Amino acid sequence: MSRLKLQQICKYYDATTALASGDLLLESGEIHVLIGANGSGKSTLCKVVAGSVRPDGGLFELNGKPVTLFGPKAARDMGICLFYQELSLANSLSVAQNINLYHLPTHAGGLVDEAELARRAEHYIDKFRKVVGENFSADTPVTKLRPDQKQLVEIMKTLASEAEILIFDEPTSALDRSQVDCFFSILRELKEEGRSIIFISHRMDEIFDIADRITVIRDGTTVSSRPINETDQATIIRDMIGEQHETAAQISVSPHDQMANAEICLKAEALGGTQLRNVGFSLARGEILGLGGLHGQGQSTLLRTLFGAKRLTTGTLELNGRLVHPASPRAAIKLGFSYVSGDRVRDGVITGRSIMENVSPIHFLKDRKFLAFPSVLSRVIEPALASLNTKYTSLGASISSLSGGNQQKVVIARWLTNPPDILLLDDPTKGIDLSAKSELFALVRKLADEGMAIILYSSEDSELLAHSDRILVFNNGSVSRELVGEDKTRFNLYQAAYSGAK
Amino acid sequence: MTEAHALKTRMATLFRRFPFLPALGMLLLLFVLNGIAEPNSMTVRALKGVASTYLALVFLSVGQTFVVYTGDIDLSVGAILSLVNVSIVVIMSQLGGEPYVVLLALLVGILIGALCGLVNGFVVSGLRMQAIVATFATSILLSGIALWVLPVAGLPAPSLFWKVYGGRSYGIPNVFFFAVVLIAILAVLAKTSMVTKLLAVGNGQLSAYQSGLSVTRIRIYGYVICGVFAALAAFCITGDTASGDPLVGGAMTLSSVAAVVLGGTALSGGIGSAFGSAIGAIIIGLISSLVFYAGIPSEWQNLAQGATILVVLMLGVLASRRINQ
Repeated sequence: MSRLKLQQICKYYDATTALASGDLLLESGEIHVLIGANGSGKSTLCKVVAGSVRPDGGLFELNGKPVTLFGPKAARDMGICLFYQELSLANSLSVAQNINLYHLPTHAGGLVDEAELARRAEHYIDKFRKVVGENFSADTPVTKLRPDQKQLVEIMKTLASEAEILIFDEPTSALDRSQVDCFFSILRELKEEGRSIIFISHRMDEIFDIADRITVIRDGTTVSSRPINETDQATIIRDMIGEQHETAAQISVSPHDQMANAEICLKAEALGGTQLRNVGFSLARGEILGLGGLHGQGQSTLLRTLFGAKRLTTGTLELNGRLVHPASPRAAIKLGFSYVSGDRVRDGVITGRSIMENVSPIHFLKDRKFLAFPSVLSRVIEPALASLNTKYTSLGASISSLSGGNQQKVVIARWLTNPPDILLLDDPTKGIDLSAKSELFALVRKLADEGMAIILYSSEDSELLAHSDRILVFNNGSVSRELVGEDKTRFNLYQAAYSGAK
Repeated sequence: MTEAHALKTRMATLFRRFPFLPALGMLLLLFVLNGIAEPNSMTVRALKGVASTYLALVFLSVGQTFVVYTGDIDLSVGAILSLVNVSIVVIMSQLGGEPYVVLLALLVGILIGALCGLVNGFVVSGLRMQAIVATFATSILLSGIALWVLPVAGLPAPSLFWKVYGGRSYGIPNVFFFAVVLIAILAVLAKTSMVTKLLAVGNGQLSAYQSGLSVTRIRIYGYVICGVFAALAAFCITGDTASGDPLVGGAMTLSSVAAVVLGGTALSGGIGSAFGSAIGAIIIGLISSLVFYAGIPSEWQNLAQGATILVVLMLGVLASRRINQ
């Protein structure tokens, strides 16, 4: 009998499927690795196990008995605890308080037993004593800690649950080698004690170091589960890719050979900043340059830095042969940059206002308009919207009356009223339906053909492979590999993104 | 350089343990200024006057703190105070001013306060309404009930009640004993696991939920604690004014919020101290008396008072920001 058995677990958010059919068999004394591409549903599956996401269907058996979890508290009481990738720490509380938050030791009257609190905290801190680094003690507030130290505290907090099933969702992303080694030796001890451990990591070397069994999830569905000695890196990557063949990558024939003599429009050398390390590339007119790799490896940061929304600390940017330094989005816009983000609510849409107001701001900025009549404005706005096939009832209608895809078109139309030189696309198709996606990419290709230079980051690898001429694979803030021409395959992309991960 | 750095680290540690230190400094400063403006304001008699007038605001601000810990706010504390005030005065005048009746009235008062807190907590946390709007609405509701209980201000409280509040034991004014009792309660409350949980919720509701805490229930507890303190504040105001007034608490609500901020508690929740809020309330009281003692013409007193509160707030915020950097 398995300790935990999940069968066909599914979870939907409106129209999006986070999990289609998640299966998992977890044994006692096992370290079970979950792996899958960005957004494949690993984290959702873990949250289902830990009770913080309620599944919409499927079988959930604990020690052979079907159970329903009502929240993380219920899961904790049944001996399940999750390390949250985005951390679950209370920043102003101390390390000791955070480690003990679920079970604060108290005297009879409900007063906190400070001695016991400190003793328990020290017990878990001791395990990491050699690797926690400076300025770390039980009574340090979490807000004063470095990112790796915070991650260690979340690990300690998870260990302090002493749960039988421990789930670690990317616990090592901020840790250095010695910290990882220390953590792994603890995991092995726990395994010896008979605990069951689910472990998520994108670092292949780590996975092969620690795993007993590897389960691969693709598009919300469990596709394979093999013992570690019956698999290898190439098999795992093939499982992650699935049956979509390499031909998919070749939809657009890369015109890269012609790029050599095309006019270079943007040249970046040794760019550095928070999350960016020594990034260099050149971008030609008419080219779509893709940025690939795992989530949060610096792709978005690069785009936001070019757009002046994040600070560039080192390196040079040359735009049409002239040195530039976009210090703010306003400056970047005037230089000819434009930026479309997938996070429409944060970066794009002006909520509650009309479509006309949502299209016109860049036109106002670039043409130094102070006043304009709606009739004059609509002569600029309507063609921009029409070129994108935007569906709307009237320019005066509220932006929120449109679907996600049409909202994104409005945001793009904003830039087309006064066409920019460079279009920065930061995961532009997030939450957009398929037909809007294909229309959007058709437009992007058309803009490129007209001579615009485009940088595209997409969290969907198939989009990236299909629509970019060249791909820079990011890893930990720097470019680990450039994929051009025949090398531009899904296999190479995954290999560079996962194996190169440090 | 390193010495200065070490000093700063020590200051930061100290400040973290006692977030009310800047407020305490300003309190002492205000005492000195009051003494300079009017030496008589330092007599026990004058201090007793300040204490008996502002003890109600002290209790109210302390109560408000436990709600602000979670990042919520309670704009109905003044209305709860009024309701408890009129309820106990009506009970005492109906049943006569015997000692056991007074005790019964106090018990009922505490129950009313807790019940009001429970309602607030249920509306804000259970029904997930915005704290500002929801407690504003309940404040109007509670004021309405208070007006129904006692439509006109002025019903006197029995003499036993205000004689105890305004009297002396062993030559020391009783209000000072009440203040000491409050400090003792605060010292104990600060050590409870509930306060740690309230602060954890204030740091981030999602994180607290994922850590296995019952966020909804914890927020309701915050409101209930607040309601009980509002009832205690009502006892103080009844002792001070010796009568029932259905509108007495209305103006005190926002003062209590200001006192919480003055005391070093973040309105966003997660960090602060109830003791600081008590100091903040006394600061507000001392500012009023300073303005009075400084001989500012009556038509300018509000302006001077407002400006001083603004300056003190800014000083407090700047001081804590400097230390925390």
